[in-house]
Amino acid sequence: MSYNYFLGCVIPGRLPFLEASARKAFEKIGMKVGDQANCSCCPDPTGVAQLDNESFLVLGARNLCLFEESNNNILSLCSGCSETLKTVKHILDNDNEKKKKINMKLKEIGRNYKGKVDVKHFAEALFENIEKIKKMVKKPLKDLKVAGHPGCHYLRPSEIINWDDPLNPQTLDKLIAAIGADPVDYTLKSDCCGNPLEKSDKDISLTMLEYKLQSMKEAGTDCIVCVCPACYQQFDFNQKEVNKNKNTDYNFPVFYITELIALALGIDEETLGLNFHRIKVKEILQKIS
Amino acid sequence: MQMVDFVFRNELIKEDFSLNYCYQCGTCSSTCPVALITNGEYNPRKIIEQSLLGFKDLLLKDQTPNVWLCCTCQMCVEECPQNVFLTEIFEAIKNRIVLLGEPYPETYKAQAKSVLENGLAIPLTQPIIRRRDQLGLPNVKSANIEEITKLLETTNFKVKIKFLEESK
Repeated sequence: MSYNYFLGCVIPGRLPFLEASARKAFEKIGMKVGDQANCSCCPDPTGVAQLDNESFLVLGARNLCLFEESNNNILSLCSGCSETLKTVKHILDNDNEKKKKINMKLKEIGRNYKGKVDVKHFAEALFENIEKIKKMVKKPLKDLKVAGHPGCHYLRPSEIINWDDPLNPQTLDKLIAAIGADPVDYTLKSDCCGNPLEKSDKDISLTMLEYKLQSMKEAGTDCIVCVCPACYQQFDFNQKEVNKNKNTDYNFPVFYITELIALALGIDEETLGLNFHRIKVKEILQKIS
Repeated sequence: MQMVDFVFRNELIKEDFSLNYCYQCGTCSSTCPVALITNGEYNPRKIIEQSLLGFKDLLLKDQTPNVWLCCTCQMCVEECPQNVFLTEIFEAIKNRIVLLGEPYPETYKAQAKSVLENGLAIPLTQPIIRRRDQLGLPNVKSANIEEITKLLETTNFKVKIKFLEESK
């Protein structure tokens, strides 16, 4: 069965350049991914779910239904969305009572969840194509030290996500190595970037980010790579905030893994919208050219 | 003085039975990045202890420790030797805080408001639509808002989150 994109809210509405790199990378490796109309917010596992679980389930189930109806699986560009959709699927597929209850509500809008749709995070799909990517590399990112940040919802809870090692993640580093770059090992690799706490305590959120940055700096990285737009925003937008509040001078360029893959596969950098990054990436581009 | 509230305790256990398995070893707190930063002021083990004892007022009214400080990283869930699904229990507590009309961070309500009004947490703005165009990206055809409204009426979402009331 083919895949359609689940774009979510943050990427299309705030970081469309990340979407551009993903579309270009998937097209280049020959994976055809379609578009799915009519989606809503996933909804946010760190937002709406915390207010009302039932609303979280119906909105998530409705999104799952759309893909079922069009006979496509889900390829999510965001870790939050993929966690939500995987969680809702897990709950409804394993709890008949809840499934019945949610379907009663979906009936009001003429929909019905069956449970035949598969949810995949985009980095899972990239990892499945890793041998192909290795063979297709035109411009290996030699000598580029990259701190991979897998983030929480890409990995955990492992019972539901069912992907990679939740405490000692490997897949992102292997993707970084596949395009000729050097994945750096750092102490706090599997830790949270702090983004979800922006909603309730900005200072703790920034301290968490500071710890991550310190750990990456100690390992001697040149740049940071993410697989989630919330993490991306935390690293790219908030390094300045950390510097202002904590008297530090971090300035690591931040990439989505699809951007680095696109560059390594020889996709024209001008088409990727790299100029929209807050922390300028020019020096990195010079280093790998 | 806090009294053990068996009804509340059983309510939480019904939400997630794994709460019963906790033997208070504290592995969750030792692996929690927020507990580390706040020097134990935020303490997942303590929230679970209060849940087991059904300390309803401490959890829902006083909110000490403050359950909204969970960053949902799920490290505790992975490390727990008893497979307690802590974040699910915290979610059930937060849902009850909201339902009772006790205070919770404003940003959550702002996100819910956007979902209720646009179907999206972040609606597309004109500058972003132009930027998408520049990047050669297709138009986003997002959800029909009438359908989302109708669906969220079935769960009484607006009433539950006190959508129309001023926050405390």
